Amino acid sequence: MSQTTVTTPSPQTPPAAGPSHEGRAARWFLYSGVFWLFVPGLAGLVMALFLYDARTQEWVPEPLRSAVIFGRLRPLHVNLLLFGWLSMAYAGSILHIVPRLTGAPLYAEPLARLNVFLWNLLVLGAAVSLPLGFTQGREYAELVWPLDLLQLLCFGILAVNVWGTALRRRVQQLYISVWSFMAATSIGPLVYAVGNKVWDPSGAYTGMNDAIMNYFYVHNIFNAWFTTGALGLAFYLLPKLTGNPLFSHRLAIWGFASVWTGQHHLLYGPGPEWLEIFSVGFSILTFLPNAAFTLNYVKTMEGAWHKVRESVALRFLAVGCAFYIVTCLQGIAQSFRGFNAMVHFTNWVIGHSHLAFVADYSFFCFALVYTFVPQLLGRALHSRRLMEWHFWLTLVGLTVFMVDLWVAGLVQGQSWSTGGIPFMETVRAMQPYYLIRLLAGLAVGAGQVCFAITIWKTARGEAAYPALRPGAALA
Amino acid sequence: MRPPSIRYLLFGSLLFLLAGMAVTVGLPALDEAPPSALAVRYTPQEERGRAIYLREGCGYCHTQQVRAVEVERGTVHVRGDIGPESAPGDYAFQKPVLWGTSRQGPDLSHVAGRPPGNSREWQLQHLAEPQRFNPGTVMPSFRHLPREELDALADYLMTLR
Ligand code: HEC
Repeated sequence: MSQTTVTTPSPQTPPAAGPSHEGRAARWFLYSGVFWLFVPGLAGLVMALFLYDARTQEWVPEPLRSAVIFGRLRPLHVNLLLFGWLSMAYAGSILHIVPRLTGAPLYAEPLARLNVFLWNLLVLGAAVSLPLGFTQGREYAELVWPLDLLQLLCFGILAVNVWGTALRRRVQQLYISVWSFMAATSIGPLVYAVGNKVWDPSGAYTGMNDAIMNYFYVHNIFNAWFTTGALGLAFYLLPKLTGNPLFSHRLAIWGFASVWTGQHHLLYGPGPEWLEIFSVGFSILTFLPNAAFTLNYVKTMEGAWHKVRESVALRFLAVGCAFYIVTCLQGIAQSFRGFNAMVHFTNWVIGHSHLAFVADYSFFCFALVYTFVPQLLGRALHSRRLMEWHFWLTLVGLTVFMVDLWVAGLVQGQSWSTGGIPFMETVRAMQPYYLIRLLAGLAVGAGQVCFAITIWKTARGEAAYPALRPGAALA
Repeated sequence: MRPPSIRYLLFGSLLFLLAGMAVTVGLPALDEAPPSALAVRYTPQEERGRAIYLREGCGYCHTQQVRAVEVERGTVHVRGDIGPESAPGDYAFQKPVLWGTSRQGPDLSHVAGRPPGNSREWQLQHLAEPQRFNPGTVMPSFRHLPREELDALADYLMTLR
C-alpha cells in the first residue's frame, strides 16, 4: 500500500493569486484570533500558578473567587484556545486562501463579515459563561446549548463560503487544500453536532455511551476540524513559502485515515475489550499517514531549508510540521497498552495536548498570520526583531514546558504503578515541575506579547520597512 | 498525475467517518450493560451535588474510573485502597458520566468509604480546607460555596461507594 502512495511526485503548486477580493472578513478573523489568544493564555498562566501553590487561589478577591479557580479556568483555557484563537485563525486563512486557489471571488463577502461577528459573539459568550459556571462539563464540549447552536451556525456559514466558492471555481483541478477545507467545514460540524448531542439541551448521553461518545468526539473534532484544516493550511503555505511545488498530492490525502482511533483514549477502562484492541490496531495504522506526511514535508522543504533563516513565517511552519510528526509518533506510542497504562491521567497527557494544539497548530497559525496579514494590508510586518523574539521565546519556552510535563508525567506514572506510595507524596513531588512549567509558560506568554505588538503595529500602519510591492494590496 | 476528484475524496471521508462511528460508537451502544450493584439512582439532592461537582470542574483534577491494571497497586493512602475495578454497569444512571482524564488528585470512584470516621463530616471539612488535611495539596478550598451547596456536594460524594 505504501508503495503506490509514495511513488507519485506530482508538480502541484497552488495557483498564483486569484482575482482581488475584499478580504476584510479574512483580516478581521485573523485579528480576532490574535486577540482571543490572550484569554486562554492568561488563564493557562493563572492555572499554572494555582497548581504550583494552591494557596495562591486565596489571593483572588472574594467576589471573583468562584470564577477564578482551577476548575472554572480549565474549560475556559481549552475552549478559547480551540474555538477562539485556532478556529478563528483557521477561518480567516481559509477565507483568504480559497478564492486564490479556485480563481473565483469569495462566494459572499457580507456573509463572511457576519461570520466574523457571530464567531466573536460565540467566543465572547464562552469567555463569560464558562467562568460563571455555565458548562456541560464534558471535555471540549463544555459550551452550553445556545452556544453549541451558535458554533454550528458559525461553522455552517463558513462552509457556505468555502463550498460556494469552490463550486464556482475557475480552475480545473482542485488543489488539495481546498478539498481539506471542504471536508473540514462539513465533517467538522457533523462531529461537533453528534459529540455535543445538540438536539438535547443537556448535551449528554447516558452511562457508557456518554463516555464512548465523548472520547469519539474529542478525538474526531481534533481530526476532522483541527487536523484536516491544519493540513490543508500547511499544504498551501509550505509550497508558497519555500517556492517549491508540493512533493505529492496523493500523499497529502492520507492524513484523514486516523479517524477511527478515538477509543484509544480509554485503554484498560471499563469499555469493551474488543473496542480497545480495534482502536490500538488503527492507531498503529496511523503510522502510514504520518510517514506520508513526513515524506511530503521533507521533500517539499528540500533545497529550501536555508530560507527558514530569513522567513520567520516559514520557520514557524517548518518547526510546526516537525512537531506534528512528533505528535503523531507520540500518539502511536500512547496507544500501546503498557505505555498507556503508565502515562494515562498524568501530566504527560497535558504535555501531549500542548504539543498538538500549541507546537503544531498554533505554530501553523503564527505562520499564517505572519504571511497573510501583510498580504491583506499590502504592507510589511512592523518589526523583524519582535518576530524573532516571538519565535525564540515561544519555541524555547514551549519546549521546556513540554519536556518538563513529560518528565513529570513519567515520574507520576512510575510512582502510581509502583503501588504503596501515598498519593499526596506524588502531588508534592510535582511542585518543582510546576515551577518550571510556570516559568516556561511566562516565556511563551512574553513571546505572544511580541506577536500581538507586531500585528497591532502592522495593522495601524506603523511599518518599520518600506511597503510591499503595491500589487500585493488586496484590502 | 491528476488529483482524485472531490466527490471521491469527500464521499470517501464521509463514509470513513460514518463507518468509524458505526463501529466505535454504534456497536458498543448495542450491548449496553445492565446497571451493576454500584449503579446509583440519585435523589434530587444527590443529583444537585453532582451538578455542582460538574460545575466546579472537580472532574479536571479527579477521575472516576478504576482501571483493571491498578486495582491491586492503586494507592491513595495505602496500597490497593483505590477500590475495585469500574464496570460499565456502574455508570448506568449517569448523565453525563464524570470519568475525567487527569489525576491531579486521587480517583474518587470509591471515595465515600476512604476517610476515617464520619465520612460525610470529613468531606465537608475537607472541601472547606484541604490544606489542613494535606499541606501542599493542589486542591483549592471551596469555602466560598454556600453551605447548602457544600451539603449537596457532600451528599453526592457519599454515593461514591
Ligand atoms: C486542582 C485540582 C483539584 C481540584 C479542582 C479538586 N481537587 Fe479534590 N483533590 C485534589 C488533590 C491533589 C487531592 C489529594 C490531597 C487532598 O486531600 O487535598 C484531592 C483530594 C480530594 C478528596 C479526598 C480523596 C481521598 O480519598 O482522600 C476528595 C473527596 C476531593 N478531592 C473532592 C473534590 C471535589 C468534590 C472537588 C470539586 C468541588 C475537587 N476535589 C476539586 C485536587 C483537586
